[in-house]
Order: sequence, then C-alpha cells, then structure tokens
Amino acid sequence: MLSMLEEVVLLAVDEKNGGLRSTREFGTAYALVGAVFFDLALAGKIDTDTESIHIIDFKPTGNATLDRVLAHMATRSDLKTVRGWIEEIFHHRDDLEGEALQSLIAQGILRHEKSKLLWIIDVERFPLVDNKPQQHVKLRLANTILNDEIPQTRDIMLVSIAEPCGLLGYILSESTLALRRQRIQMLCHLETISRQVMDAILELETTMRQAMTKVV
Amino acid sequence: MIQVTEETKAEWQIVGVAGRADAEAADQLEAALRAAIAGHAQVAVDFSKLDYISSAGLRAVIQAARAAQTAGSKFLVCALSPNAKKVFDMSGLHHILQIQGELPC
Repeated sequence: MLSMLEEVVLLAVDEKNGGLRSTREFGTAYALVGAVFFDLALAGKIDTDTESIHIIDFKPTGNATLDRVLAHMATRSDLKTVRGWIEEIFHHRDDLEGEALQSLIAQGILRHEKSKLLWIIDVERFPLVDNKPQQHVKLRLANTILNDEIPQTRDIMLVSIAEPCGLLGYILSESTLALRRQRIQMLCHLETISRQVMDAILELETTMRQAMTKVV
Repeated sequence: MIQVTEETKAEWQIVGVAGRADAEAADQLEAALRAAIAGHAQVAVDFSKLDYISSAGLRAVIQAARAAQTAGSKFLVCALSPNAKKVFDMSGLHHILQIQGELPC
C-alpha cells in the first residue's frame, strides 16, 4: 500500500506528460508535511488532540522518510502542539516530494526522464509506467467527495491534503467542486492535523500578502 | 484506557464508554462498537463518562459509524461529556454522525 505522502505526490503527476502539477507552492509544502503526520498516525506512531501531538511509539516504521521525521520528533520533547510540529517539520522538510517520487519510481509506478528546454533549462518529468495506482487514488478521492456516505479514514485524510495542494481540480470539474464545496470543507475539518495545516497555510498567505503590501 | 459497558434497553443496544479514548484504546473502542453493530440493528453510544478523546478515538467512532451505515443499522452518539463535545464540535462530526444530547431510552 502506498503511503499518504506517495498518494498525494502521485496525484500531482500529470498523466499525459509526466509533469508535476502544483498550484500552491507553499500550500503544497505544508500539505506534504501534513501527509507525513497522517502516515505516522496511521502507523500508530503519533496521536493528536485539539492542541497536542503525542508520540506513542518511537520504533522505526521501515519507511525512511517517516523514520527521519520520527527520529527528529524524538529530539524535540519541548514541542507539544500540532501547529508547532507542522512548522518545525516544514523548516526541516528536506525534499519530501523528491523522496516520494524516488519511492514511486522504485515501485515501478513512475519513471524519471530528464530533458533540456531550449537546450539550456533542465526539465524533469515522471511519466506513469503503471497508471492503475493513480487511477485508484483518483477514484477514491472522487467517490469520497461525491458521495454523502461516511468515508474511510484514509480517504478523509487524502481529501484534506489534496485540497490545500490544489489537486482536486485535476480530478473533478470546477463546477462539480463548487457544488460539493461544503462536503470538501467538512472533510477537511474532521482531522486536527488538516485543520492545523489549513491554518498554517492561511497564516503564511496572510504574512506574504502583508510583506508584498509593505514592498509596494 | 477505556471501560466499555453494554446493556439492552427497549430495542436499543446501549454501549457506555468511560475513560480516555486515545490511540492506546482506539482499537478496543472500535472493536466494541463494531461488535455491538454486528449484533444489533440499533446502537446508541453513551459518551457521558468519556473524559478524553483523541484523533485516534474519533477515527474509531467514525469507522464504527461507517460500518453501521454499510450494515443498514442505526448508530447514535449520545450524551457527550463536555470534553468530548468540544472535540466533536470542533471536528464538525455532526455533519456525518447522528449526535444527540440524550440516550434514546
């Protein structure tokens, strides 16, 4: 089974040309950090409540990315809040997207292509070798949004990470998303981690807007 | 650590949950709720003695409610303690769960 981080990065791959799609650079970075926390929660390593993150089990998961974050968490017992940890891992996130891409390549789902644009600019693409995993993730996401049924935990998490990454527009039309906006918002608020990711993104965007205003 | 009790009242199976529904107790909570759903068409969970619920505990309740929906059973979350109510309200769980102030009977 793919990790939450791998599923989100796989969703960002353009099935036509292997390009990586992202509409919100910083939003995506925060959301990928959120995906790592969801993976740790699903692995039974951490638990959260309205304010705090608790580390339940320091034993490695076997996933290098998750284990690196878990090891880092073990060194910072002073950090207790969900928000504090999202900020901490955001600043030490290294290349979460790159690690997920490498894993997807190793699993035979993607391949790596390098080319030059105008003979100068390096262009990297990740065409699908096996499109079934991406189709499966898209179908789960669409069903979770379009149905009114109680969703699976993993799918709640997936929607709440895909939304701040701006990836839902590649799965459903804008008009459909507009019709289901209330459902999407509801799903994004069910989990503490995604609520805190959303708050972090909103605060970052506000800070950037204020900085831009000062520059102007 | 949670304590789970069960009793049958009228046509309802009442599952009482007391203590802390955290990651340590989540599997026990989900298993108890699923077992009640498997055996009864109407299940009400009494959370009046629930001191604390974490994300893992909430996920256990959501997945049990999902199992009830799949089985066509009624599943009510009732009498939330103040601590639990705060968490349920913040998560907006009333959108997908049937939550009420008192037990059905």
